[in-house]
Amino acid sequence: MSRRGRQAALAGAAMLVAIVLCSSQAPAALDFSVGIRYVSDTGSTSECSAKAQQSLNAFLQGASESSPGSGDWIAHSQNGVNGTPTASAVVRCFGLSHGYVVTFTCAVQLPDNPYTANALCLDVAHKFHGAGAITALAAIPTPSPEPTGCAPNSLVGTWVSDDNPKLTFSMGLGGDLTDSEGVSGNWSLKGNTATLIYYGTHTLTLSADARHLHGGGYSLTRRC
Amino acid sequence: MARSIWLRIAVLTATLALAFGITGKPARAALDVYVGARNEVRNAPVSDCDGRASRALVSVLGRSAEIGDTHEWTAMGAVDTAGSSFAAAAVHCFPLDGSGYVVTFTCAAQAPPAPETASVICSQLADHFGGQH
Repeated sequence: MSRRGRQAALAGAAMLVAIVLCSSQAPAALDFSVGIRYVSDTGSTSECSAKAQQSLNAFLQGASESSPGSGDWIAHSQNGVNGTPTASAVVRCFGLSHGYVVTFTCAVQLPDNPYTANALCLDVAHKFHGAGAITALAAIPTPSPEPTGCAPNSLVGTWVSDDNPKLTFSMGLGGDLTDSEGVSGNWSLKGNTATLIYYGTHTLTLSADARHLHGGGYSLTRRC
Repeated sequence: MARSIWLRIAVLTATLALAFGITGKPARAALDVYVGARNEVRNAPVSDCDGRASRALVSVLGRSAEIGDTHEWTAMGAVDTAGSSFAAAAVHCFPLDGSGYVVTFTCAAQAPPAPETASVICSQLADHFGGQH
């Protein structure tokens, strides 16, 4: 094999390894529950709506009617680790000549959500009906709050080069960094020793006030 | 010889950086749930609703199943190689006194990777159900 051929093969193999590594994370899946329905021979649609709102808010938040007077209610969980709700439930009331019929439909995103769509729908339906076992639903994991200020255990924030104020670095929660020209790299911090992977690997020291980084050919000050 | 090795390392590094750049920031999947149309149909038996619901679900999501004998129909979208699905819908049929029925559409999607939003799925279902959208 020629030199160019070997280089192309090496590049192809590296690309494949990297893509496989990045693709190995299990994707979330949709979990859907449908089938619980109550028929009440008494009561009005407005009574059904009141119970729908109350039972939804017992387990989710912000129950709202899809359009005023429709009898269709929807509520969502609080935001999960990705910053969006991971569970939703729909309760639909329909008035009959005597009483009403109500249906329960739920959807959750697994594995981000800590309980199934069936568990959610059973709880909402039992709460609505005022009968049946209510199973405690696990709390939804919330995203870690982003450190603010000059946190001594993190480099998150915006850093400015002391030698060239036009050169800035935005360091993210996930250990990523991007400079003011869009070039990306990574950071890590162990004790007060920081490592920047940015045009090579650089070892720097974080100052006691967590505002300055020196070493490896760089001198940076954090905006905080 | 030394130059060749450094060239290979450079090629390898550039390729890894490119590949991680392509795949390293996947879009975050979000749950999307939609309360679709509700229609009241007169002078038709609930079996008419059952047939339309099943056909509409098959047309949009590729399958359908009734939950017991309840006139409640549901379907999950196509599954990936891991057996996961990213779209689902429910069509509820309820017989009314006398002759007629009420039908509702409720949909969910997880996008990405679902190509359609829950709203679009519900709209397509209602269209397929019988132009009652």
